Amino acid sequence: MTTIMKRIIWISVFCYFILMGQVSNLNAQEKKTNYGKASDEILPYDKFAKAYKYHFLTPIEFYGAGREKTALKDLKEVRIGFLGPLTTSVMVPQGIQMLQGATLAMEEANKKGGYKGLPFKIMPHNDAGLWGAAANEVVKMDDEKVWAFLGSIDDIVSHVALRAALKLEIYMVCTGDPDPTFTETNIPWQCRVISDDRQSGYALVNYIHKKKGHKRVAMIRVNGRYGRVGVKEYADAAVRLGFPFVIEERFNDGETDFKAQIERVRKTNPDAILLWGNAKESALILQQIRAAGLKQPVFGSDRMVSPEFLKIAGPLAEGIVTTCQYNPNSTDPKYLAFKSNYSKRFKQEPDVFAAHAYDGMNIIIDAIKKVGLNRVLIRDVIAGLKEFQNYPGVTGKIVFDHSWNDVSDIYMAEVRNGKFEFTVAPPMETGQRTGNGKKEPNSYTN
Amino acid sequence: MKIPVKSKPALKSVIVAFVILSGLTGNMESVSASGPQKTGNEISKANNQPNPKETSVKAVANDSKPMPVYGRWKNFTTKDGLPSDMAYTVKIDGNRVLVGTHDGMAVFENGKWRTYTTKDGLPHNGIVSIDVSEVTGDAWIGTLGGLSRWSGGKFENFTQLNSGMPNDLVYGVCCDGKDVWVATGGGAGHYDTNLKQWEIFTEKNAPMHEPWTYGISAGDGKIFIAAWGGGVIEYTKSTKKFRDYTDPDGEMEIDLLLNDGPVHDITTGTSWADGKLWVSSYFGLCNYDGKNWKGYFDTDSGLASNFINFIRAEGRVAFICTDKGLSSSDGTNWVTYIKNDKNADGKAIITTGGVKKEIPLSPSLSHNFIIGVDADKDFIWVATSSGVSRGELLK
Repeated sequence: MTTIMKRIIWISVFCYFILMGQVSNLNAQEKKTNYGKASDEILPYDKFAKAYKYHFLTPIEFYGAGREKTALKDLKEVRIGFLGPLTTSVMVPQGIQMLQGATLAMEEANKKGGYKGLPFKIMPHNDAGLWGAAANEVVKMDDEKVWAFLGSIDDIVSHVALRAALKLEIYMVCTGDPDPTFTETNIPWQCRVISDDRQSGYALVNYIHKKKGHKRVAMIRVNGRYGRVGVKEYADAAVRLGFPFVIEERFNDGETDFKAQIERVRKTNPDAILLWGNAKESALILQQIRAAGLKQPVFGSDRMVSPEFLKIAGPLAEGIVTTCQYNPNSTDPKYLAFKSNYSKRFKQEPDVFAAHAYDGMNIIIDAIKKVGLNRVLIRDVIAGLKEFQNYPGVTGKIVFDHSWNDVSDIYMAEVRNGKFEFTVAPPMETGQRTGNGKKEPNSYTN
Repeated sequence: MKIPVKSKPALKSVIVAFVILSGLTGNMESVSASGPQKTGNEISKANNQPNPKETSVKAVANDSKPMPVYGRWKNFTTKDGLPSDMAYTVKIDGNRVLVGTHDGMAVFENGKWRTYTTKDGLPHNGIVSIDVSEVTGDAWIGTLGGLSRWSGGKFENFTQLNSGMPNDLVYGVCCDGKDVWVATGGGAGHYDTNLKQWEIFTEKNAPMHEPWTYGISAGDGKIFIAAWGGGVIEYTKSTKKFRDYTDPDGEMEIDLLLNDGPVHDITTGTSWADGKLWVSSYFGLCNYDGKNWKGYFDTDSGLASNFINFIRAEGRVAFICTDKGLSSSDGTNWVTYIKNDKNADGKAIITTGGVKKEIPLSPSLSHNFIIGVDADKDFIWVATSSGVSRGELLK
């Protein structure tokens, strides 16, 4: 056999294996996933009975009229609504970041010519005015003839706005509210581009109970909807694994003395403590937990991932583990460019709300560029789960489930050397571990 | 109001409908007829006269009687005088019909439409709910920007700023004697027209998870509030006590058992009639007879779709506004009206005992996305995403 022949054979064999690899990837079966990416062992009631009806198996369609409508010819600008806490709220700093992220996306789009020469314009609305203000603000957006809107952070606001969005048929892109029930409404006029507390809860359950092997966890949470709804998915999943909270203590936003709650937690002698609240209160509670002599590991909700938490908690923050909806240390060029441009424009680092608002606004702008100025068509193209599925945002790839919830990767965040470090949360392991790291069967199946 | 001259296809439809219905249900004479054709709304509001609802209840309350079927549809759009094709709500009021649209309230009287807007005194042009007081005859109009009482040709407006109303977006309004109840995203409100006082019900003083309410109705001495995420809140007027009904499984993504309670906690409407509370949601339908709940999905009944915008019960029949057509049911039998995608015709699908029969309709409803409905003994009016439709009871 000649050298040439040998080379041809080797090249052929090489190509064969390369091709086989490609083909096998192409033919690979998509892995079955449960709703919310839940593992089988934490599915509600699944061990005992199948449900009569499962929702969110397929995306709901919008069957109303309006696709034939054309925009007015004398438009001077393309208006996009913004709903967020801009005044009179403890969430104003986050609301400002959110508005800035959306503004940056809009300014960049306008530099590229806007929509067919028309500039995009943000119509900002504060969501923290009169009770139920979000509904009134969405009505104002309708009067202003916005084409879609972005918002908000507080789940009370988001729900109220969403129902008005359905009535007025304005597409709502949620960029900051992690309440799982926001997308569980079956309203086909919304999507969420940020991971929710279901994903956070499952990641924490996996980490605390499976990886670390803790069994007796004490919960200290903020009194209010963020705390109540936020911990629900964690609590439900933990119960299904056989680990209900040993105690659930509450506090109010603005509280500074948590001695009573911590004393009650001490009496239960937990393996670990989980905090669910805003950065300031979480840091103060951590300080007082350590001051009280409790040495248990402390975990927390994603709002801990903030400079404010690190500043107040100081060295006590070391080793704290929580979740985060994206990787703020990402080296993805797109994210780095966003971070740089944002810092130059607003003289501060972007936070989670800025980054997701930037992605959300870009989705609205891209949708308008694809289908034009028609509210229903804007809805159709985003909700269609084709053009915008796996959208490459600065926060990473956005993956929608059938309720248009973002179920892309969530990150574990751990404080090391005074800074948060981020790793993708692994899928939930099956079986459980004891405190010694030894696997054992699920206790609730015994 | 005069009945429109029937076209030949429409006449054929009626004949076919009559033949099929006669075969299906036997006695069609049970459907109320009242001499010369009227609007069905020409009934005195005087206290000693039977009110339209009661008359309607008597007409359909007997279990042996068949489901009412409507035909001879007449559709109205902006071309006919509506201010907008987006119609949110409809209310029959004696000889006239009030229609709430995105761009004003349209009133149909003596065969003509007249539009009322903010220029006439309304607080907002978006009209999303209407009810009429049987005591005073006043119309109470829920808008995107407040509540308005239309009395003696004048509009008196109530907003968050000028009254104790819970929120300006009034999804539902219900007149109950001297009282007016509203459902808003900021809580339920109760206005005593004698005392001129508002009372607000939220999660702080009622068993609501949140103050988001989207539908409200009265019946059996109670007020029934459709609470977003909180199922149904029942308020007993005599005791001033609340009781809530939620889906016992506690999960948003499933309905574990069909008949264990409301099919979902996110409810969109309530309506009580003939001893039964009907509850709509974006996930299915259910009813409650005071003891047992019964759930319905589009996969196990004649329901057009699980996505239900609004519900209104008249007598034993509930009219269900879905995103894929109008359904009506007595809990056992179903009549669903669907318009064809490509033309103005459609069909009525009658489901009895699991058997389906279809009646062609020409024309059919204006659109399949149904948002509001009202019916009396002879007519049904339907608010849709693209126009308003009036159907005539087939006798």
